[in-house]
Amino acid sequence: MALVGNIRDFGLSDFLYLVDRGYKTGGLHLTHEQEMALLFFEKGKLVMAVRRPEDQHGDLLVRLGIISTDQLDQARQHLVAQGNDANLTQVIVDTQLAGKDQLQSALQGFTEESVYGLFGWPEGEFRFEQNQRPAADAPIIPTPISVDHLIMEGVRRIDEWGRIKDRIPSTDMIVRFLEQPGEKVKGVKLAPEEWRIFARINGKDTLAEIAQKTGLSDFDVCRIVYGFLTAGLVEVQKKPKPGLNRGPQADTPRVKKSLVNRIINRIKGM
Amino acid sequence: MQTVKMVISGAVNAGKTEFIKAISEIEVVSTERRATDDTKMIKKETTVAMDFGRIAIADDLVLHLFGTPGQKRFDFMWEILSEGMLGLVILVDSTRPETFRETNRIIDFFVGYRDTAYVIAANKQDRPNAWSPDELRLALRQPPHIKVLPCVASDRESVKNILLDLLYVIQERSED
Repeated sequence: MALVGNIRDFGLSDFLYLVDRGYKTGGLHLTHEQEMALLFFEKGKLVMAVRRPEDQHGDLLVRLGIISTDQLDQARQHLVAQGNDANLTQVIVDTQLAGKDQLQSALQGFTEESVYGLFGWPEGEFRFEQNQRPAADAPIIPTPISVDHLIMEGVRRIDEWGRIKDRIPSTDMIVRFLEQPGEKVKGVKLAPEEWRIFARINGKDTLAEIAQKTGLSDFDVCRIVYGFLTAGLVEVQKKPKPGLNRGPQADTPRVKKSLVNRIINRIKGM
Repeated sequence: MQTVKMVISGAVNAGKTEFIKAISEIEVVSTERRATDDTKMIKKETTVAMDFGRIAIADDLVLHLFGTPGQKRFDFMWEILSEGMLGLVILVDSTRPETFRETNRIIDFFVGYRDTAYVIAANKQDRPNAWSPDELRLALRQPPHIKVLPCVASDRESVKNILLDLLYVIQERSED
């Protein structure tokens, strides 16, 4: 079943997070005015991204200067001979028409740039076809890319308060690390400015206080923290209001188990 | 007579009125007026005050169900409704990702300052293109311990199951 929506309402970075954490496999089809994009994921990692229909096939490798037309024809013949489970880039590596590193470098660069451009789309319909896979002769990246740093880079390109405020409505919120960010941190490369913020996160300071301590603007701090948030490294919470005893159970009546059991039995019997 | 209260919240057209109607023993008291803002694009009549349903538990105990108004301009009602509530059901229209941000805003409002017992009901699971509960959990960034449950608000059994799941959460927190 397809997941459909608009990136105006459910942002691309949010969708990448869903694909990553949900270990999704499938094809994400995006359209915006006359533009299109097609991204394929395998167990939450990106294996291909193109912005033009003609780039979905092996000819892209010729255009990128990785192999010649003759070599492509040769690889396609091998591909047909090998049958259903083979893919073009694996055949190219196996037959030594190009090195794996060379393929990885060229295709990863192409793919990343294809995705980064999408973060500039203000809106666009998306459709995620679960378990859809690229064609056998598609320019698949030999080693799939983790989407974490794509999210971070995409968020770096966000320059509007609106989207940030959806997740960070006020600079009076505190930032804290998620309980187990360890593995995720490894996949993310931070810019020096981002490290400055990262190092200040202590679960106590508000965003405004972090801005004050680092000398960065509120907007920059929120934008950077929005990136951490989107990548699933941190969470933001409202700062408890001083003087208000709003600890756990505040505003929530302490009820007797016997009372809850009576309601449960009644609902069960309905 | 003791009364206890549960709140049913969610974005416009998430299915709150339908949810309460499916389980209430009384005709649901609902102030429906013709929508005057963008909600009329979604449904002709939308809730502008609140829905109220009732289930008699015993002669001495009644459960009240309150549905919150969906539109932002009625936020002030949420505070009033949430006072003393036993638990909260957040309904999500699983077919409309454009409402997920608003759903997060509602969750944040109700649980931001309070340790509220709540479950998320992924409504309209009978429709094509409904996002699954697992996908909604990720989309709404809910932690693993929060229940995100499949729901069809027009189906009484489905609504019963949601309320029971919420009650089990409340039961775990209750005192002997």
